[in-house]
Amino acid sequence: MLWLRAMIYALYVIVFVICIYTGRHYWFTLNRLFGFQRHPYIDIDTAEWPPVTVLVAAHNEEKVVANILDALMAVKYPADKMLVIPVNDRSTDRTREIIDTFVEKFPGRIQPFHRAGGKGGKAAALKDAMELVTTEVILIFDADYIPGAGLIRQLVAPFFDLEVGGVMGRVVPMNAGTNLLTRLLDLERSGGYQVDQQARMNLRLVPQHGGTVAGVRLSALREIGGWNENSLTEDTDLTYRLLLNGWKTVYQNRSECYEEVPEVWPVRIKQIMRWAKGHNQAMMTYGLRLLLGKHRATLRERIDGTLLLGVYAMAPITLVGWALALGVFYQGVAPLHGVIALLSLTAYAALGNLAAFFEIAAAARLDGTRKRISLLPFLILGFGVSIFSVSRAAVSQVSDLVTGAEFHWDKTERFRKVL
Amino acid sequence: MNHFLAVAALIFAVTFMFMLPLVPALVELRRKSDARPLNVVQQHAGEIRHFANSFREYIKGLEPILQECVAAGTSATGTLPDGEEYVVLGRTDEPLVRALEQRDSTHPVVMACGVDLIVPDEAAFSRDIYAAGRFFGGERNSYRAILGEKNVHLGASSRVLRWVHAVGEFTADLGCRLLGRVSSDSFIRLHADCSFLRLNAPRIEIGRTATDAEATTPSSDLPINVGSETLQRVLHDGDFEIHAGQVISSNIVVRGSLHIRSGARICGSVKSVKDMVLEDGVAVKGSLISARKMRIGRDCAVHGPVVAERELAIAAGTRCGAREHPTTVSAPRIDVEEGAVVFGTLWAREFGQVVASR
Repeated sequence: MLWLRAMIYALYVIVFVICIYTGRHYWFTLNRLFGFQRHPYIDIDTAEWPPVTVLVAAHNEEKVVANILDALMAVKYPADKMLVIPVNDRSTDRTREIIDTFVEKFPGRIQPFHRAGGKGGKAAALKDAMELVTTEVILIFDADYIPGAGLIRQLVAPFFDLEVGGVMGRVVPMNAGTNLLTRLLDLERSGGYQVDQQARMNLRLVPQHGGTVAGVRLSALREIGGWNENSLTEDTDLTYRLLLNGWKTVYQNRSECYEEVPEVWPVRIKQIMRWAKGHNQAMMTYGLRLLLGKHRATLRERIDGTLLLGVYAMAPITLVGWALALGVFYQGVAPLHGVIALLSLTAYAALGNLAAFFEIAAAARLDGTRKRISLLPFLILGFGVSIFSVSRAAVSQVSDLVTGAEFHWDKTERFRKVL
Repeated sequence: MNHFLAVAALIFAVTFMFMLPLVPALVELRRKSDARPLNVVQQHAGEIRHFANSFREYIKGLEPILQECVAAGTSATGTLPDGEEYVVLGRTDEPLVRALEQRDSTHPVVMACGVDLIVPDEAAFSRDIYAAGRFFGGERNSYRAILGEKNVHLGASSRVLRWVHAVGEFTADLGCRLLGRVSSDSFIRLHADCSFLRLNAPRIEIGRTATDAEATTPSSDLPINVGSETLQRVLHDGDFEIHAGQVISSNIVVRGSLHIRSGARICGSVKSVKDMVLEDGVAVKGSLISARKMRIGRDCAVHGPVVAERELAIAAGTRCGAREHPTTVSAPRIDVEEGAVVFGTLWAREFGQVVASR
């Protein structure tokens, strides 16, 4: 039957794509364990440091904004060369009041940008705040982050390299031990940064700009048209526009910064759904152009960048694969007499499923945190929630396209006590 | 066994096998033995003087004893708050230091000296040393760490395992092995065949160098343009060459190898994705970055940071940074010829060595 044959071929394509991502996981992990590690800029500790502007994105951040401003005032960077701009985006809580207290306390070092109206979202707020920025190097932090004393220097150092348009540091959950969710997110972050991002850096692929604990070069930003306020994830959007315009984004694994991760599942689900929608949006916008277009990205950047764009699309694809596999099975079909299917199943169970776990376990080992590896079996729970949330986001994104509904920006809830 | 029991046993066995891998996870979830956030250094910025500053703080309590011993010309022993034993020297002579050195293999102690400290040849100390006066090390010695409030001098073929900090000048004679951090608040000089990892001082001289007045490097001819980012960025695909004597007023990114011929002057910064070669007498106002190897010829001047991701060779007469604009020179492996000067940091991540001048 034609439709059954179509199902089987679709299933083969899905299995092939999953195999590619599996191989990618192993490649990254083995590179981190045994390959040459690139940290070219981390040793720059003495230099004529350039002026830098630090943008702190804050929308209703009364619980956390004082912490980051305190930390920024204590960093070891020439005070006359660093200007902090808290971007207070239409806050309705005490955020403005707290920021203004710091402005009084540290005259000349903090210049507030209070935004009362305009389009919602971080990209739109940053775009408006750019009118105050005059320095070539810009660093960006979300308000729940707490930079250490040396972080600003570390994030500025890569900009001595003229190829570098964007810089990304490592994010470390500070509330890792709160509950099962935070512990799972801690493991996921570890795998994502310690292995994934650093391997991409090592292999000269496409490290991703994360939009916080990050930097961007003003001339590069101007060249690519500034912040894209229509993007749901301005960081992913920035990564690809920089790449397409001949700029590199580099990852600094040793430039670590504490963040607060969601402590309840509904907040986590909202967060990952927003990431998924933004990522898929970038995939639709830049995918084909990156892979086949005429620009300065290398072949390996084109391939890795395309695979990176597809990571959130893999969730619904995997679900479709499961449905197809079940459908084909209940039709009594055993492709290639069942032998290939059996081999594929056992091989994938042994290697494919383990790829992501292997990556996270390797990350935990590199971090020197052994006992938390025992939580790995619980990651199935996190992956289960992610796969359905991300698929739901993809479906709603398609339905939004059909109905013309606008995206509603959900701010990630904070869990720290108000100061 | 009836069918009901068999099914129940099967379900139990399957459930048990499914739950078994979760047991360590459940135990860890309950005990939270590894639940603290990863340790992110918040308070310091990786400064080279971190260990020296910590050691100074650590022995601060010995200051009164040190003064008493110096005044009386005696020595004293005791125990620091963490249980570590110390000896305080108010005078030094060779038999005393030799006796301490010989005791070190069985009974090592932290040593604090209030006067000039002269260490005889072929001595080994496995605990940190503090010298309030000048420090003169003999030949073929081995130290763990030295903090000198004045000049520190290491004799030929000596070895430092962790760090040295000199408030005054630091000099290392032929063939010293500096395996950790070496810093000085004024000046470092390394002689031929020395190996190093991380050095920092306002001025680092490799072997005998020309004075500022005698220097023939062309840096002073270039306009100061520290923020070279404001210049235009020019991209070149493939290999590229800058001709002898050419003056470039832009930032340059080369997606291949870069060869800069002698006497060329670049007012901006330079990046090459492959190897980079600077012939003699080249001046660069901004940074020099190579994703592979870099070779800098004689009498070159570079103002900004110099980074090579694989190897770096610096020839005699070259100056990196300036007294008023200190910088960083960094690569996994660095060969630096006698006669070169670096103002700021010279950091070989894996191995650096001083090569005798040709």
